[in-house]
Amino acid sequence: MDDDMDDDMDDTYEEALGDGELDHGALEAELREAAAILDPVPAELRLLAVEAYALHDLDAKIAELTFDSLVDAIPVRGAVDVPRMLTFHTGGLTVDVEVTPRGIMGQLLPPQSASIEVLDGPRAGASLTADDMGRFTSEARPTGPFALRLRAGGEVVVTEWMRA
Amino acid sequence: MRSEAGPATAYDDLPYTRGGTVDRSEVGALVQSAVDGDTAAWKAIVEGLSPLVWSVVRAHRLSDADGHEVYQTVWFRFAQHLGRIREPEKAGSWLASTARNECLKVIKSLRRLTPTDDPQLLDRVSEERTPEQSVLDSEEAAAQSERVRHLWQEFEALGERCRQLLRVLISSPPPSYQEVSAALGIAVGSIGPMRQRCLRRLRARLDARGAL
Repeated sequence: MDDDMDDDMDDTYEEALGDGELDHGALEAELREAAAILDPVPAELRLLAVEAYALHDLDAKIAELTFDSLVDAIPVRGAVDVPRMLTFHTGGLTVDVEVTPRGIMGQLLPPQSASIEVLDGPRAGASLTADDMGRFTSEARPTGPFALRLRAGGEVVVTEWMRA
Repeated sequence: MRSEAGPATAYDDLPYTRGGTVDRSEVGALVQSAVDGDTAAWKAIVEGLSPLVWSVVRAHRLSDADGHEVYQTVWFRFAQHLGRIREPEKAGSWLASTARNECLKVIKSLRRLTPTDDPQLLDRVSEERTPEQSVLDSEEAAAQSERVRHLWQEFEALGERCRQLLRVLISSPPPSYQEVSAALGIAVGSIGPMRQRCLRRLRARLDARGAL
């Protein structure tokens, strides 16, 4: 910012002393201690990360995010509170999800029935059903990270964890 | 002089004796053990890498609520992808870049929607007392506490780029430059020089204050 020129002068000064890096290393170490004291990982978050191990499931297929309206769509000018549109894809299955203030609406392609669990963390989530047309809805809007675990056509598919 | 030996490898050669329990060279083995069902290995990964994930969240100045959600999303997704990550030894970089992407999405969505909270205003050290803070608050430690707070204040007052870079660099155990690069989208080769510059500025601020 305003002290750019001072920086250059410092360089010469420090090289002459030969202890610039020593001093920087010590300062960084001190700052690291300060961070551990004043801005540590909150205990409840650390615990959640430990519990997240339960989400590790090698048998389920992961449906990866292929479209996110937040990133891939240009918003209409002046439109606020537009629904978040997400598309997940794996093998032959596509999962379209729309997150609105009123909840979740979704569509499986190709259309097929499925039992669906809405996960919001390492513990069991709410259950839904997709009808024969592959449509499903949930009244509850996910408030934090969520994923859908689907059982369809003898397969278990989990969508990538997303922040709603 | 680590910085002149080559910034890309500067940290990677250091032993990690402080704070966390993960030696970065063991991360690949720990990930494999966790895939095989070893809960202790998973805990060691969380212990060693959650400060890095948290530092990325904090570097992006998210509100507490958004930051907590990003942190959770990152770890849930990591657990989900465990066993499918192509380079398990680079799990730290995977976590850091996932955290960065999620932080950028939050920032994008805040810009798009009517902001309900201002991350700038909400960015502050938690009011809650951690055990370490309580110790610091004891009378014997008052001087030390003062010192730490001054240091942190000057750090917070650095320019945005320096504050971001240093916040990630000072996670514990120290991240590799590859991880810092993934966390902030900065080329590995420019981290060393930027670090020097930012620490120099911090030192100058502290000297001006006469605090340390």
